Amino acid sequence: MTYRIAIDTGGTFTDLVLADEQGGLALGKALTTYERIFAGVEGALKMAAERTGAGVGEVLSRTDLVIYGTTHATNAIIERSTARTAFLVTEGFPDILVLREGGKLDPFNLSYPPIEPYVPRRLTFEIRERIDAEGNVVLPLDERQARETLRRLAERRVEAIAVCLLWSPANPVHEEALGRMIEAELPGVPYTLSSRLNPIIREYRRASSAAIDASLKPLMQRHLNDFEQDLRRAGFNGQLLVATSFGGVMHAGDVVQRPIYLVKSGPAMAPVAGRTYAEAEVGPRDLIVCDAGGTSFDVSLVHDRTITFTRETWLGSIFTGHITGMASVDVRSIGAGGGSIAWIDSGGLLRVGPQSARAEPGPACYGIGGTEPTVTDAALVLGYLDPGYFLGGRMRLDADAAAAAVAKIAGQLKIEVKDAARAIMEVAGDHMVGAIKDITINQGIDPRESLLVAGGGAAGLNIVPIARELGCRQVLVPRTAGALSACGGQYSNIVTEFTQSRFAYTGDFPYDAVNRVLAEIAASMERFEAELRERGLTRFAREFFVEARYPYQVWELDVALPRGRFDGQADLDAMIEAFHREHERVFAVKESGQQIECVYWRGRLTATLDGPPLRRAAAARAGAPVAHSRQAIFFAGHRELETPRFHGEDLSPGTAIDGPAIIDEPTTTIVVYPQSRARVTELHNYLLEIAQS
Amino acid sequence: MSASPRTNGGELDPALLAVIANRLDSVCREMTNTLLRSGRSAVLNMARDFSCSLVTGDNQLLASAEGLPVHVFGSQFLSEAMCNLHPDFAEGDAFLHNDVYLGNTHSADHTILVPVFVEGQHLFTCCAKAHQADCGNGLPTTYAPFAGDVYEEGALNFPCVQIQRNFRDIDDIIRMCRRRIRVPEQWYGDYLAMLGAARIGERRLKELTAKFGPPLIHRFIREWFDYSERRMTHALKQLPSAELTGTGAHDPFPAVPDGVPLKVKVKIDGEEGRVEIDLRDNIDCLPCGLNESKTCAINNVVSGIFNSIDPGVPHNAGSFRRITVHLRENCVVGIPRFPTSCSVATTNIGDRLVNITQAAFAQLGDGYGLAEGGLGMGPGYGVISGGDFRRAGAPYVNQLFIAANGGPGTPHNDGWINYGLPVVAGLMYRDSIEIDEQKYPIIYKMTRLLTDSGGAGRFRGAPGARVVYGPRRDPMTVVYPLDGHINPPRGVLGGHPGQPCYAAKLDREGSERELPPVSAEKILPGEFIVGVDTGGGGYGRPLDRDPAMVRADVLEGFVSLEKARQVYGVIFNGRIEDESLSVDAEATAKWRAALRGQSGA
Repeated sequence: MTYRIAIDTGGTFTDLVLADEQGGLALGKALTTYERIFAGVEGALKMAAERTGAGVGEVLSRTDLVIYGTTHATNAIIERSTARTAFLVTEGFPDILVLREGGKLDPFNLSYPPIEPYVPRRLTFEIRERIDAEGNVVLPLDERQARETLRRLAERRVEAIAVCLLWSPANPVHEEALGRMIEAELPGVPYTLSSRLNPIIREYRRASSAAIDASLKPLMQRHLNDFEQDLRRAGFNGQLLVATSFGGVMHAGDVVQRPIYLVKSGPAMAPVAGRTYAEAEVGPRDLIVCDAGGTSFDVSLVHDRTITFTRETWLGSIFTGHITGMASVDVRSIGAGGGSIAWIDSGGLLRVGPQSARAEPGPACYGIGGTEPTVTDAALVLGYLDPGYFLGGRMRLDADAAAAAVAKIAGQLKIEVKDAARAIMEVAGDHMVGAIKDITINQGIDPRESLLVAGGGAAGLNIVPIARELGCRQVLVPRTAGALSACGGQYSNIVTEFTQSRFAYTGDFPYDAVNRVLAEIAASMERFEAELRERGLTRFAREFFVEARYPYQVWELDVALPRGRFDGQADLDAMIEAFHREHERVFAVKESGQQIECVYWRGRLTATLDGPPLRRAAAARAGAPVAHSRQAIFFAGHRELETPRFHGEDLSPGTAIDGPAIIDEPTTTIVVYPQSRARVTELHNYLLEIAQS
Repeated sequence: MSASPRTNGGELDPALLAVIANRLDSVCREMTNTLLRSGRSAVLNMARDFSCSLVTGDNQLLASAEGLPVHVFGSQFLSEAMCNLHPDFAEGDAFLHNDVYLGNTHSADHTILVPVFVEGQHLFTCCAKAHQADCGNGLPTTYAPFAGDVYEEGALNFPCVQIQRNFRDIDDIIRMCRRRIRVPEQWYGDYLAMLGAARIGERRLKELTAKFGPPLIHRFIREWFDYSERRMTHALKQLPSAELTGTGAHDPFPAVPDGVPLKVKVKIDGEEGRVEIDLRDNIDCLPCGLNESKTCAINNVVSGIFNSIDPGVPHNAGSFRRITVHLRENCVVGIPRFPTSCSVATTNIGDRLVNITQAAFAQLGDGYGLAEGGLGMGPGYGVISGGDFRRAGAPYVNQLFIAANGGPGTPHNDGWINYGLPVVAGLMYRDSIEIDEQKYPIIYKMTRLLTDSGGAGRFRGAPGARVVYGPRRDPMTVVYPLDGHINPPRGVLGGHPGQPCYAAKLDREGSERELPPVSAEKILPGEFIVGVDTGGGGYGRPLDRDPAMVRADVLEGFVSLEKARQVYGVIFNGRIEDESLSVDAEATAKWRAALRGQSGA
């Protein structure tokens, strides 16, 4: 027996999925151990390996692939424990990271402290040079001034360097020269050139990409080396792959060259799992993938079998956080989850969140110090959660404490405790509906035509009313919902992208120049493919994309190109037509007959890793499912209904359960509301069908 | 999230009230997103100088998520004009409105109004208002401070004119705009974006109403306004009762050689939770473009109020019930009579009204109000025009958004960098240097925040920038109406003013010559125009600032060592260059005591 292990280290828990070659999956969960990540992984592996009867060392020695998803990079940025990074920029423009692109939320709230730039001004250095919009050198690089600046950096104990010069995507000659000078003057200090990492126009985004990337280099190199050594010491001698923000994986050695790919990589794996399960269950459909945990609710999308991407990924809040600037899986995250706290504002309105009780002090029902009413407490009051079977019975919930906390809200609203609990669930659910609407609107996807995939420990509590509100008729809750991102690791491929910036107006299309750019991208893919072949990979796919817009617009849309070359008007027309279609899909209008402006060209290379097979069980012709208990449960519009409760492991494929009912899985709970039905599929997932009113 | 109306003790279900309110905000956000991403001119898609709002069938402002305050407070006057002028308006209609005498802000803000019908009843009006890149003015600028009246201003006027019938354009109106507005393709693209936003709002409101049913929606509106009023009352009850008078002045320029003195009287009733603003004691309308429109006079003082209270209060007709604004006809900050020009109503005097109002609240004592925010529409906000040699001389006209006026110090924190102007308070985006250089034949030399430019205070005003740019191969015209050179943003409660702004020109040899504060300047290739922006005013005495914050400011280059010593009274050891700088606490305490003695404070 050989194994494959996928790991997702989150802020609180480390999730692990152990797959055997028949497709058997075992989940493990343990607290994340920050000082030595392997300790938590070992704990989770121990739990997952229980059923194999083998020890951790034995399982690891028979594992050929470890897929590692980590929040280490994201956390380091939020906690400001990244390298002391210097920022080199064109003379006259030292404040690119300070001024950014403006914008602010809350029109009348001026009590936001001013934003701190990713690299402080004291570590920002101006370089005398200038290139114009067409790539012409206006002022040649002053090498003497640059060298003097680099020597000052040595005195300033700088650990990494980010370089972003104006118009370097149009002509990288000055950035490249600076790169060579850094290697000569400051050997061993890692650096990032913006034109190599992310050659997009818009100096703030490119600078932010470079600064984040450079600042992560020393740290992530160390982190991945340590982790790999720990694995090796414990007996592992297979390959280590790392999850990236492309929703794919890369070899650890490649990713340390561009550690920005690690930022927000964990949530990017959830749609990979969602797509795998959904295609196996219902075939290709547009998907909305939700991952609801204790503190955050993440949403991502799959359209036309492709996970949707964005260039608007922020670390922290939009405007006040830091933008990565990279094309990466579009994941919207809001602070809503089981730990969200309910409160009453000065006008008497019920609010839920954004404050969260987090793991500590936790919801009141955890009994570890929390007293504020949370969504988890409301779910317990309503009877959705079984106090004796939380986390498969490993944690006991205190129903009285939950009721006491929710009673505070009920008292202020002058309603009954259960009504207050229902209202809390509804307001929390509405925030989630809002998050889903925001991303579907942005990406032009109609929820009514989509399948909702719900993962995370808290998703099953109210996914049915959320789906009903969105007009989704079906929801898939994977049995492994509690570890959706780690599951994504099991089914991911090696994905890498290459971008070049080349402006092209279709009214006067520069065929040769564009074909040259596409050929360069293809050559980069070729080189990378050759390296992967040496590592034993055999199946590859190449895709090409253009980011384009109508004249005068400044925000581009992603359009897939049929192939990586333009041989004539027909190829061009196909691209323009695809753009019109995409514009209409996203913005509800198109301007037929209008020419378009092409800005960036991207190539994506995918190397297929064969994931574990999906194990189907024939539908058993079992009798009616047997509930292990029944209780009166409160549902909106129905008051109390007699509701059976099932353990997921007792249900066989083919079983259908009509709501109201509750299904408990060790890492998640599914509430089957009235007017909905759950079916256990051949893959032992749950497909919920929701009657639309 | 149930389709059935649910009540509790005669009131709407508490969850439902929150849910529908969130939905309305999300409709506004969807409209906003559509306009931002499909708009053509940089004013829209880069700077986000536009706003979307929803008004009820009886013309009350209902929702305006993330709209610019100066745009949305007043949407109700626009829909009112639609109801009055077109009593037979119907589904499928759309109206173009930019008339300042009928409730619009200024002529350059085109508003598209779409009435939303459910079961034959007019339930809502969707408004999408956007500042145009050009509106057909005599000069290539959307701000005409010199214009003696609307005839000199020259903008095309649309007093709520029908532009769509049965969901189709009325081509006469489109042709008029295409004929008279510079770069008509750009205008038409922006029109489509605005119309698309309003139509998306219409679609979503119909879905929402279909879901909950019109009776429940009516009920929601009533209760939501009541709730908002309760929040507002509660917020105002946190203030002591007082009668305050704020004064200030717009800088002089040739049309108003003595400047424009301004007075805002604020009467707070903390027991009842009400506030009254009186603007009647101000001079008459001026023969230039600086006059406030009625809408701007109201919304800018209301912004000053909202800036000074709990920011969580919803901003709609419900909270407005607690505010009274007294205006007078033919007053520079009142109700203009035709043909008075209000070409620059949204910014210059508008900015002053916001500042004067919020600073007046600081008279209540420490912990209240704000300092004055950075202002001034210098060259960094200039409207540039000319021909682009890279596109066979094709004409271009657009406003740049590259200035950086500093935000005001507040009772709790330093000013917001990238504040822009008081009327937008940081909401607008700023241009990308590279996108500007790609779209227009210009080159930037500098955008740099200046040391010691933010007003000193316990909480410092944000710094202002120096912006330098010029044309590449052909001459370029830059039009700007700058305020804040003579009267920079003031501090409050002992805080210092921010740096004054100015405009200048660098000649081919690089020597700088100051330009007039309001001008249409022709800049030749090899020359550069310079805009130095204001810093925000400081809040509280600089000697009370935490020395650790002064140290950080010195290391970051926002405050010089000399100012740290002379104004903030902080004495350091160590050096800036190697970051060994440290506060000498004992020497600082002594030196501060001495400085306090000198100032008698």
